[in-house]
Amino acid sequence: MATSQEKITVYNLADLKNTTDDAIPNYLNSIGFTPSHRLTDVRLALGYSALTLAAACLAWDYKFGFDATKYLTAAAVAVYTLLNGALTLWVVYVERGTVYVGSSKKGGETVRISTETKKNVPEYFVTVEITRPDGGREEVKFARAFTEWFDGAGRFVAAPFQAMLAGSVPVIGRADPKRAAAAKAEGNEGAGAGAAAYTPEMLDALAKANVSVVGSAAEEATGAEAAAGKKGGKRRKA
Amino acid sequence: MLSSLQNPRQAAAQLMNFGLILSTAFMMWKGLSVITDSPSPIVVVLSGSMEPAFQRGDLLLLWNRNLMSETNVGEIVVYNVKGKDIPIVHRVVRKFGIGPDAKLLTKGDNNAADDTELYARGQDYLNRKDIVGSVVGYMPFVGYVTIMLSEHPWLKTVMLGIMGLVVVLQRE
Repeated sequence: MATSQEKITVYNLADLKNTTDDAIPNYLNSIGFTPSHRLTDVRLALGYSALTLAAACLAWDYKFGFDATKYLTAAAVAVYTLLNGALTLWVVYVERGTVYVGSSKKGGETVRISTETKKNVPEYFVTVEITRPDGGREEVKFARAFTEWFDGAGRFVAAPFQAMLAGSVPVIGRADPKRAAAAKAEGNEGAGAGAAAYTPEMLDALAKANVSVVGSAAEEATGAEAAAGKKGGKRRKA
Repeated sequence: MLSSLQNPRQAAAQLMNFGLILSTAFMMWKGLSVITDSPSPIVVVLSGSMEPAFQRGDLLLLWNRNLMSETNVGEIVVYNVKGKDIPIVHRVVRKFGIGPDAKLLTKGDNNAADDTELYARGQDYLNRKDIVGSVVGYMPFVGYVTIMLSEHPWLKTVMLGIMGLVVVLQRE
């Protein structure tokens, strides 16, 4: 089904995050969100003006020599420092890990999704800021295990990921009722970490999700892991 | 990789990040140039003519401003000779006159004779403007990498190969 062909290393947290981040705009744009690129555009403008300045500095330094262009170079260094500082501030304080900004065509709400990962924690930390057309704001925060939408081989599985987003964020749920319903059904089953069997690959992921839920007791965890291993083996033979 | 090609903004951002690494390094170098007022504020010692003070491969930090006092006898300076593109690190041993027109004579601590042989044809002394800067700090041995690279050009090929290999392996 909606499994991407590319496989990533499941032990690489950056890979997990980047692949998942890339999936968010694809999904939201497909269910009728209009993306806003303002944050990225400002970042690109700052960065490229700094680059242009450095290139110009290189050119005049090469052509006229250091002594003839000393004061121009000093000014360029100062401006470059300012531009680069502004870029850093923009990325750290304004973008804050934002991966998507867009507005829903249906309700007119603006969503801003920022994500992060924490070292050695295989979970996806998501913050969604919703601004309603009347100016009201709300914030939804949640963290979910990557195992919910990556199978054991490192393939991204879109369905459970989209269901997770639709189920956790009301605005997205309203834009995509089908996925929201799927997420709800799952919740009723009481699977906790979610993830119904959408695809054969998801069985593997489901087993792993259980490990992370039950995992506090070491014995249980090893048991579940052994089961996961067995399942994987069976599938490979089939 | 492919997904970034489909998204022009992401591709532009990746290109920008790569470019910013290079340009920041360049601007830091230029900033150091501006602060020290020297076109080349860091040089590598290429010869043993200043031993035992400096060995081949030492990295020198230069300062080219005369804030407190003029360049005086005893200072180790780096100078350029017209027609030769290699800067020379030697000590000022004699000075006649003051100000920008003072005549300076240099000599390597480890050399038997002064530098009149090294100067351009017909040149018997240096002016202040020939000097790129006075040595104010050094790091032993760090610059040896650049000497190795320029004396054994095949090392550059090896390094490029290793870097290319690392990039290819990391992509996988």
